[in-house]
Formats: sequence, structure tokens, C-alpha cells
Amino acid sequence: MVQVMLMIHAGLGLLVLLAGLWVFVEALNAHQSNLARIRGVSLFAAVVMWLTLFVAGYWYVVYYGVEKALILKGPWPFAHEFYMETKEHIILMLLLLTTFLPIAARNDLAGNRGARNLFLSVACLIVLIGIVVEGSGGIISMGSKLAVMPK
Amino acid sequence: MEKPLGKYTVSFGLSLALTCLFSSLLVVVKELSDKTVLPLMKQATGHHWVTHSVIDVILFVAMGFLLTKVQISPERLTRLIVASVVIGGLIIAGFYLFVG
Repeated sequence: MVQVMLMIHAGLGLLVLLAGLWVFVEALNAHQSNLARIRGVSLFAAVVMWLTLFVAGYWYVVYYGVEKALILKGPWPFAHEFYMETKEHIILMLLLLTTFLPIAARNDLAGNRGARNLFLSVACLIVLIGIVVEGSGGIISMGSKLAVMPK
Repeated sequence: MEKPLGKYTVSFGLSLALTCLFSSLLVVVKELSDKTVLPLMKQATGHHWVTHSVIDVILFVAMGFLLTKVQISPERLTRLIVASVVIGGLIIAGFYLFVG
């Protein structure tokens, strides 16, 4: 169950990243015919991000303590000390950015250049932070794996 | 002339920028106050990270509804959001890299 939860949170996180990339590309060519799709995918990203936070948060609060102790005793303690500590707080910015995305998408992205640039910047930040967070997750998993591997 | 941004885009955009900065500063404060702030945050919900998340969300929503009268150009709002996320991210990463 714990492993399934871990995979679900990584998978949902990836969906948020892809949704951010999707709306970024769509917004580059925003016109009246794709505004509804941009708004729909933006809302999807926000909903999935909240789901991700609940799954990841539950796993982190309930199960991560054991893994943290293992990582800290292993050869890659920085996997927790830097990557996990940074990830668990930067993810809150990602949550706020994805929550803001559908609000920014309500503007006329096709006719208002300022609104479109704002939306593009937010989507771009979501993609970049998403990549950082997914990469950090990989390093944390490796830290955990190396800690239990025979020397 | 271009249409102005929706009032909730402005208010929640400003709220996003301010909450990101606040959140990164809260990381530093709680980690450096492990005998005062951190235990309080643990006590509030059982885990400091849960308390941190709840504070961020409450602040984001509250400021989003409180700042609806503020007017700002899309360009300035975009710069503010990008700057606050970048600075906030650097504060968090820098803290755990050099201090934490």
C-alpha cells in the first residue's frame, strides 16, 4: 500500500507537470477556439495538484519517518537533508501556482497580451518547479535504496 | 486598449506572490526556532509541515479576497509573481544548502 501511494503521488505530480506544459503550449497560440480547453486543463492541473498534495502529505506524515532515518544513516544523507527538505517546502509554492492557474485562465488570453504573458509565466514556473520536484523525488528514492543495499 | 485583468486575477496573483515569500521566510524562522516556533507548529496539527501548509493556504485565500481593490498592471503582476517564486525558492534551497 505504501509503495502504491508513492507511485500514485509521483504519477499525479507528473500529470500536473504535463498539464502545465500543455496549457503553456496552448497559451502560446491562444485564440477563441482553444480558450475553453486551456481553462479546462488549468482546472484539471489544480485539482490533480491538490490530490497529489493529500496523497503525498499523508505518506510523508505517516510513513516517511522510517525512510528518513534510513536515508540519514546511508551514503546519501543529503537526499533528505537538502532534497527532501527543499522539496517539501517548494511543493507548497507549486500548490499555490496551480491553484492560481485556473484563475489566471479566466482572462481573455487570446485578446489580452498582458494576461497571456502572466498565464505563460505561471505555467512556465509550474513546469520548472515540477521538473525540480520530480528530480528531487528520484534522488530521495535513490538515497533510500542505497541505504538498504549491501555495501 | 487591452482589457484589464480580472479583479480576482490581481488579488490572488498578489496573494500568491506574498504567500510564496512568507512561506519561504517561515521555513527559515521555524528551522532556526526549534525550541519556540517549530514545537508550536508541531503542536498545532501534529506535524510542522501540515501546519505550514494550512497557514499558507489560509493566507493565500484570505489575501486573495482582501486585495480585490488593488490595481496593478499585468506586467508588474507577472514580474512580482516570478520574482517572489524565484526569491522564495532560492531562500528555501539556500537555507538547506548552507544553513539547515
